[in-house]
Amino acid sequence: MNLLLGLLSNMLLAAIPAAGFGMSFNVPRRVLLWCAAGGALGRGLRFLLLRTGMPIPWATLLAAAAVSSLGVYAAQRLRAHPKVFTVAAMIPMIPGVPIYTALIALIEIQRRGLTNELLSTALSSALLSVFIVAALAIGLALPGLLFYRRRPVV
Amino acid sequence: MTEPQQREITRLCVESGLRLMQHGAESALIESLSCRLGLALGVRSVEVAVMANALILTTLGADHCITTVRRSADRGINMHVITEVQRAILEVEEGRLDPASYRAALEAVQPLRYPRWLLSLVIGLSCACFARLAEADVEACGLVFLASGLAMYVRLRLAKLHFSPLLTFFASAFVATSLAGLGLLLKLTLTPRIALATCVLFLVPGFPLINGVSDMVKGYSNIGLARLAWATLLSAASCGGILLAMTVWKLWGWP
Repeated sequence: MNLLLGLLSNMLLAAIPAAGFGMSFNVPRRVLLWCAAGGALGRGLRFLLLRTGMPIPWATLLAAAAVSSLGVYAAQRLRAHPKVFTVAAMIPMIPGVPIYTALIALIEIQRRGLTNELLSTALSSALLSVFIVAALAIGLALPGLLFYRRRPVV
Repeated sequence: MTEPQQREITRLCVESGLRLMQHGAESALIESLSCRLGLALGVRSVEVAVMANALILTTLGADHCITTVRRSADRGINMHVITEVQRAILEVEEGRLDPASYRAALEAVQPLRYPRWLLSLVIGLSCACFARLAEADVEACGLVFLASGLAMYVRLRLAKLHFSPLLTFFASAFVATSLAGLGLLLKLTLTPRIALATCVLFLVPGFPLINGVSDMVKGYSNIGLARLAWATLLSAASCGGILLAMTVWKLWGWP
């Protein structure tokens, strides 16, 4: 029950920003629904995978690949390039808090001098963000790399 | 094919590619769509070179080739234009448009723009959702809604006045952090740090980053590097705005 509630709230909370960022990329009105669906799928799948104990970069990679596959399906139905809506759907998985933590820790090192605690916070947050962003980009490219090698999606 | 016909097809190809480029398509899409358009309209082959801010295109006809260059000015990310141009090209491939009607279709594509107040509202809401996803309390989410919404409005206003995006990102990061910092200064919430972190998330340059990586992966290294460098500059400008706000309002303290 708790799991289901967590999953649903995660999906809803991801669907809203996905559609919101879709609007800031001027995605056409009818396609916004696909942005929201992609955002919900990505974040929901990642939530479930994290529950099984998978590390967050790998979970992000699989979730991004799933969103990208949904993108290919939708692209063929809508006659539009998948990037039109998959990029907005990736936005809820961007590691905002780790990026920010790394930045602030670096500034604190400059302001107060190096301590082991600050250095380890800065490094581990920065590495985590880099891994997650790389997983997003690779996951997004995966259907193209695996299945659409020599032919266009649309 | 006569020379004037080939000239017109060349112009159509380069103008389509240019529209895609100006509105934020990745290089592989620019190249493949302009090539497909040229082939569908009957030239023998189309060669495209995508540069960071220009497009070079050559069509090979029956007995000569025509090359043309267009400078590209960034018109802002607009997925609506990309969708419409692609649909028109698909119709040419299906044989439903000839060069004249394709030109009419291309010129009829007007960029869709959502109203500023609506965008500010949804971006505020989106950042509030990010805060909630990062397990902030309700007060922090409300604060993030206000901070991001207002900062997004500032960003759109400044963009409308044609300020450099770097300056725009700097100013809106300052506004967002200042407003969210109120939560820390006035002790409005139990999770002020999450509010500070998530209120600037709308400034993450998602499109340049993802396009940059996919350009690099697909072998368009120079334009990929240019996009990544631009994304880095935009992030640095946002960092500058955050730092200025933290210095002015003394929002230091860790964690």
